[in-house]
This record gives sequence, C-alpha cells and structure tokens, in this order.
Amino acid sequence: MDNTVKRLLERLVRRIPSRMLKTTLDKWSRLTATQRQSIDYTESKWALTEKLLAICEENELTVKHIAELEMIHVIENPNLGMWHAFQLMDPQGDAHSVELTQFKEQFKSHLSELIRHVSIKIKKHTDEAVWIRIAWGDTFSRPNHLKPTYVVHYLQTPYVFLSSLTSKQKPLLSQALVLSTRYQAIKDANLSGRKLTAIRDLLMKQYLQVFPTKFPSPLAERNRVVSNLHIEKEQAGSAANRHQMACEAFGDGLLPQLQSAVYKLETKFRDHTNKTMTERDEPFRCVVKFASTNLLESLRHSASSGTQKVLKTVIRITIIVFCKEVSYVTITWYVTKSCRILTASLQVSTRGHQSPGRNSHIVMLLH
Amino acid sequence: MSLLKPFSKLPGLNTANILLVESEEQFQQSLADVLVEETSVTVNVRLAKSLPLPMENDESRPRIDLVVFIINLTSELSLQSAEASLKYLDPGYFLGKVCFMVTNARNASAPAERLDAVRKLAASLHCPLLFAENQTPDGVASATERLLTILKVAAGLVPIATGLYVSNLTRCTLPLDIDQPSFD
Repeated sequence: MDNTVKRLLERLVRRIPSRMLKTTLDKWSRLTATQRQSIDYTESKWALTEKLLAICEENELTVKHIAELEMIHVIENPNLGMWHAFQLMDPQGDAHSVELTQFKEQFKSHLSELIRHVSIKIKKHTDEAVWIRIAWGDTFSRPNHLKPTYVVHYLQTPYVFLSSLTSKQKPLLSQALVLSTRYQAIKDANLSGRKLTAIRDLLMKQYLQVFPTKFPSPLAERNRVVSNLHIEKEQAGSAANRHQMACEAFGDGLLPQLQSAVYKLETKFRDHTNKTMTERDEPFRCVVKFASTNLLESLRHSASSGTQKVLKTVIRITIIVFCKEVSYVTITWYVTKSCRILTASLQVSTRGHQSPGRNSHIVMLLH
Repeated sequence: MSLLKPFSKLPGLNTANILLVESEEQFQQSLADVLVEETSVTVNVRLAKSLPLPMENDESRPRIDLVVFIINLTSELSLQSAEASLKYLDPGYFLGKVCFMVTNARNASAPAERLDAVRKLAASLHCPLLFAENQTPDGVASATERLLTILKVAAGLVPIATGLYVSNLTRCTLPLDIDQPSFD
C-alpha cells in the first residue's frame, strides 16, 4: 500500500479520539457493514490502525478517500487548529449570486491553472458553509496530503476562513478565491484564533446583538435569582447598574470566544517637554495585540465589576512601538463607563530621559 | 458620617451576622454559600464590595458582629480598596470584630511587599490575619470553619470568651525581620 496513505491514516487515527472514531467512520461510509462491525474500538490505537489499514487495502482505498475521512473529522471539530479570517473586497456585479456549482468549478479550474499538482476537495456543510481541503504540490512533486490547507467560505458573504497556509501558497489561494467568488481583492480581517465558530460568529455578527432601548432597566421577573435568604448584597443596586451597563455594550448572552485581536495604529506624540519625540516627521506606529482565553467576556466582566482599569491578568495586551528612540513604555488601560471606548494612556520615554512623557491617547471603539 | 457601628442595634437570638467585604466579589459568594449551611447558629451574611455601605439599607441591616476584609494578594486594587474601606468602620469594631482574609498568597505574581503591607496593617489594628485558598471546595470549607470560630466568639455565642479576649490570642504579629529584604 502507498506510503503516504499509511502515514495519513496513522496520523488520522492518532488524532481522532477513540470515542469519536466510530461515528466518524460511519459518516465516512466507505466501509461495508461487516467491516465496520469487525472493528473493536476498545483496542489500542496501534491495533486499530493496523485493522483499518488492512480494511482499506481490501477496499483499495486511495489517498483521496483518506483525505475525505480527515475532512469529515475537521468539519466535525472546527475548533482545533489556528484559523485566520479574511474578507473579500469590491464585489463585482454578480458576486452576490454565486452559487455552489459555479463556485466549485471556477475555484477548481483557477487553482489548477495556477499550480499544476494540487488536490482539491470541496464539501458543502449543512449550515451554508463551503469547506475546501487543498493539498499542495508543485510542478515536480505530488500533492502533499500531510499538510493540507482548509478553507471555509460562506457563499454570498465576503468572509473566508483559512487554516494552515504558508506564505508561498497564500497568493495562489487568494487569486483563486477572488476569481471564483467574483470579488476584486482579499484582505486580512485581522481576526484569528483556535475557535472557528467564535471567529465566524464575531465576523458575521451571529451573536446576540444589543439594540438601544428607550427603557433600559431589565425586567424584574427575569432577574429574580433565588439565592439564600440569609445572604444579602449590600450594594446590589449599583452592582445591577454596572451589570446593566456591561450588558448594554456587550449583550448578556454568550459572547463569541475571541482570543486574539490585533490593531495597527499610527499616532503622533504630544508632550511639550520632550522635543525629540514631538519633532519627528513620521507618525508613531504601534501594533496593539489583545490576547486572552475569552477577550470579550473579560472586557464585559471588567466593566461589570466596576474596575476602571482593565484586569491585566485576564487580558494580555502587548504594544509594540516601532521607533528606535523609544526605550521604555508603560501602558495603562481604561474602560470608560459606557464600555464602548477602551483608552490607553501610553507613557513613552526616550533614551536619556528619566521621566516618562505622555503620549496622545490611543482610543479604540469596541465595535 | 456613615460609620458602621458595632453596638447600636440589638443582637438576634442565636444569630450571628457577618459582613464580607471584597473588591472583586468572587470569593465572598462561595464563602457565603458555605457559611449559611451552619446548623448550630443562624448565620446571616452580608456581601459588599467596599465600605461605606449604602444608607438605604441602614434600617434593615442587622447588627454586624464580624467584618471580614478579603484581600487578593495578586491585585493592588484589592488592597487599596480594603484600606480605603477601613475608614468607614467605627473604632469599636477593632476590638475583636474585624478580621483580614488573604487569598492567593502562594501565587508567584503576588509581590512579597504586598503581603508585608497586609501583615503590618493587620498587626497595627490588632486583627487576626487568615490565609485562604479559594479555588477548591476544600479550601473554601476550611476558610469557612475558621471564620465561623471567630464569628461565634464575636457574636457572643461562646460562653466566657469575648472578641477582645480572643483577639489578644489571634491577632497578627509581625516577625522581627519583616523590614529586612528577603533572599529573592
């Protein structure tokens, strides 16, 4: 049997947890009923791999079929691996009416034109998402199925999510996507994380949205939390107010689990005592990166707990300032009462300067 | 002013009232849930983020027997909030009716100076300093037990012992080398 098939199958069986192996194989439906029944799922992974290899040889399955199995597994578990969100720009006339068969044909033909040996599998999932698995080869070698790229695209929306793409493959894929979806350009949406569902919900606004209401006080019945009669909160009123404010900005439902957000920023330095910095011609360039296990939840929690300063233990905020004169940066973050504006006061000191100067505030609107 | 006074109200029968003050409002909830399960005494728990307490509750609030300040050592804000709240307590409370509880003392990100500062604060006020572990139910249960011991004395439910008498034994003392730099 082909070596790549063996390696791919081995890797796949290792990756899929034993309890999900049965359901995944059933979904694959490339094994006959007797074969499926003959597999004992309580065996060790090594034994299972051997069994499956034997069955695949029997059925003469090729790499393409194993790739199918892998795709099924990834579609079932989208929250593994690192996903990056991209947005298509400038739709042409018929961009909004691209439908599945047209997209499939166009994508396959464009990508095969760009690169000779490439293996593409396209599958439409139940929730309107088109999943594409691409194994890249080049003019001399066969497609490498051990390092596939996965692309998720929602038809008729400009959003695309990619995982495991190298910088060499990126322009080829972008070109193929742009041409087949009838847009003119693709840009990085600057959202990435492990949870595809969270990034998708955030980008496509599929979370519980907050609408401005005229009478913002919540219904008393909804908030009746029957707690012990002997426990009483002294400052329940102000706690409820803060919670209400946090909910007005973030909604009180489940928030998409955003894990990393990067902002690129250009700003000018403003401090009268520090001439070297104010007299620079080029603007001050910064990259601000937010990282947390659940960014929006952390922000909502810090707003409802009333701390003006964002809890640094919960969110890691890194600011990289591109300026060779800067030697020392302190950042203090503030969330305003309305939770909509995250302000950073950046104190920057230059070489030889003891007292830190004050920068202009970096103001970020939270939506 | 809105000072919380220790003896301005009548006590309840076989009742002990405890006030948990914590700026983060996390640990106090889990402590409260375990405290009210005490069967020999009726324990009423009041939760607050900081002092002063709102005036609207003055009428309905029972006599507070023990005020516990919960300080998270990993947060400077927690310590500052507790220090600021101390001003709103009548001095009568410091005769055995105030206790400090500290969490996350073993956390690497908690600087040693903060723990020293809390120790000095507790020692200067002659109050006990308890260390608690707030992540596991066992930790919460043992913290609750210790609080209950002090609470029962402060509420006058233990014969012969009074808060002031016990506080002589339980109050925080400073080690002699507290002002010397530590090895790390």
